[in-house]
Amino acid sequence: MFDFILHVAIIAALNGLLALSLNLQLGYAGLANFGQIALFGAGAYGAALAFSWGFGPFAGLLLGLALVSLLALVFARLGRSLGADYWGIATLSIAEILRTVATNETWLTGGAQGIGGLPQLFGFDLPGTLALAAAALLATYLVLRGVTQSKFGLAVRLLREEPQLAASLGYDLAGLRRRVMLISGVPAGLCGFLYAHYVTFVGPDQLFASETFFIWAMVVIGGLANHSGAVLGAVALQILSASIPFAKDALGLTSEYVAAARLTLTGGGLLLFLLLRPQGLLPERIGSVRA
Amino acid sequence: MRSSLVLGLGLLLATHVAAKAELVVGAVIPLSGASATQGEDQRRGMEIALEEINAAGGVLGKPVKLIVEDSGGRVPSALDAAKKLVTVDSVSAVIGEYSSGITIPIGQYLVQSGKIHLNIGSSSNRIRDLGATSFSVLGLEAVSSKFAAKDVVAQGWKKIVIVGPNNAYGQGMASGVKEELEKLGATVMSTLLYTEGQTTYRRELQQAAQMKPDAFVYSAYGKDAALMNREAFELGINKTPWYAIYLSMCTADSQRETVVGQYGMDLNFVGPNGKAYEEAYRKKYGMSFKTSFSGYGYDALKLLAAAAGKAGSAEPAKLREALIELGKGYEGATGTITFDAGRQRSEQPYLTLKMGQNGYEPR
Repeated sequence: MFDFILHVAIIAALNGLLALSLNLQLGYAGLANFGQIALFGAGAYGAALAFSWGFGPFAGLLLGLALVSLLALVFARLGRSLGADYWGIATLSIAEILRTVATNETWLTGGAQGIGGLPQLFGFDLPGTLALAAAALLATYLVLRGVTQSKFGLAVRLLREEPQLAASLGYDLAGLRRRVMLISGVPAGLCGFLYAHYVTFVGPDQLFASETFFIWAMVVIGGLANHSGAVLGAVALQILSASIPFAKDALGLTSEYVAAARLTLTGGGLLLFLLLRPQGLLPERIGSVRA
Repeated sequence: MRSSLVLGLGLLLATHVAAKAELVVGAVIPLSGASATQGEDQRRGMEIALEEINAAGGVLGKPVKLIVEDSGGRVPSALDAAKKLVTVDSVSAVIGEYSSGITIPIGQYLVQSGKIHLNIGSSSNRIRDLGATSFSVLGLEAVSSKFAAKDVVAQGWKKIVIVGPNNAYGQGMASGVKEELEKLGATVMSTLLYTEGQTTYRRELQQAAQMKPDAFVYSAYGKDAALMNREAFELGINKTPWYAIYLSMCTADSQRETVVGQYGMDLNFVGPNGKAYEEAYRKKYGMSFKTSFSGYGYDALKLLAAAAGKAGSAEPAKLREALIELGKGYEGATGTITFDAGRQRSEQPYLTLKMGQNGYEPR
């Protein structure tokens, strides 16, 4: 039982990294990234490729961060000439293209069979893994809070609210977007790296577009433009998702209900919050910037 | 929010009480997501086995308990499920999953936790390396590929186009069959992996037909298989022989007229045990096998029950010994199950079939 709780906590912390990353883009900068899972994938495949070429985890981390930065720049570059809605669609297509590449370039990525056998960091020590994931989450939280409370954070919010005003005040919109994407790419890539070593396997099935919407649900339910909200959303969804099988056992439902309940949780939760409480569990605090 | 947390914790506690003497088996299979059709079929097989075991009085003097969890086709959900089964439900063994990409991480976890893992759906050769308590009830890639390649070459076909879904199963099947065909001197002109769930496969079929092969070797399931067979029929591409890897799975949803004349191989479901299983399946679900995967689910649960009966215990270590002992020749619905030294099914009897006007005919 204790191991199960540790496992749920590890996944919750890793999801928290993805939610914080998306929250900076979507919540603060208004960048509707529908390809968030690709940033995660860059980190995960960085770890897997380094492993398959015989390098250690540290090289995998560096490769993952290099790949995720490159991808973040590609995403940001797209934003220069596209409106926000079209940009969102473009990010979705890029993520799908990358998934297709991962499925088909068997010589490089192992194809649909993926790359398996990555070593677990700390051997099979769950508390160690949890400590690492929690430390990464805390560090990301503090850094991103610092970023959004700075002058840069104000500029990013202006980019979301009034891009034309921001441009007229002399802000470099393309530069702002690029920096937002680079900063938010790091925790997503880090999450991919940690996840790859935790589950010891990386494959294209981990990069389905539905995974992006799972992250969206965390951020929307938790609260857009609120770091604590994003983390809360990630933790709450993971706990709910992990407790559905117990509800099934206790209520004597058949296993098909679990499948349906999990889908309803993401889709229905997202819809309910968008309709009834669009600000999420923890709404954005206006005037919270100290700079 | 708070109330749902309390509810969740309450449910965690409520299910934590499990008696030790009985055989409790877990299963992690895809009941939602891209592979839900196969996952549901795996569940059907286990359900029939469970009914038969418990109707005969169970094992160790108690009914066998089977807890089926959905993997959603996602690694995190599958791991959630496997960890729940091991740490909360205290199962002795876990059956699953379907995709190699999910079977490998959950198998590693189960072996590390000292539980029995039975693979019933993944054929990646990497399953072999999972460890001491992991068994495969179905033959890995090499076993079925070798059989199919030999059968194809025996028909005198030398130039082959391979068609399969672009997923872990299809890629593994295609590369395995290609390797075996080339060993036997045949030429694989092209390997065509299609994206699942399309509304038409005409482009792929016409592209394949341009090669003018002696035969197509294919494996497909569900609506994709039915659509492909119908379009091949409409385009007249079915004049070239089609050879199905798992004929019943490839043709279960197809209109009969579009698949008459297809060659193929399939699991041996006409043996003494296989025939009874096929009838039980037809009776319970009112159709012939939907995919070829249900039989492995059936055999896995039956095998575990037999092992627990033999060992007189549900302890994983004793189950392991009994499984190895039984695996010297266990008569299952999918034929005789024999484990090699690496606890993988080393050979599997297949049927050679042809589709006739009235159904499958032995060749």
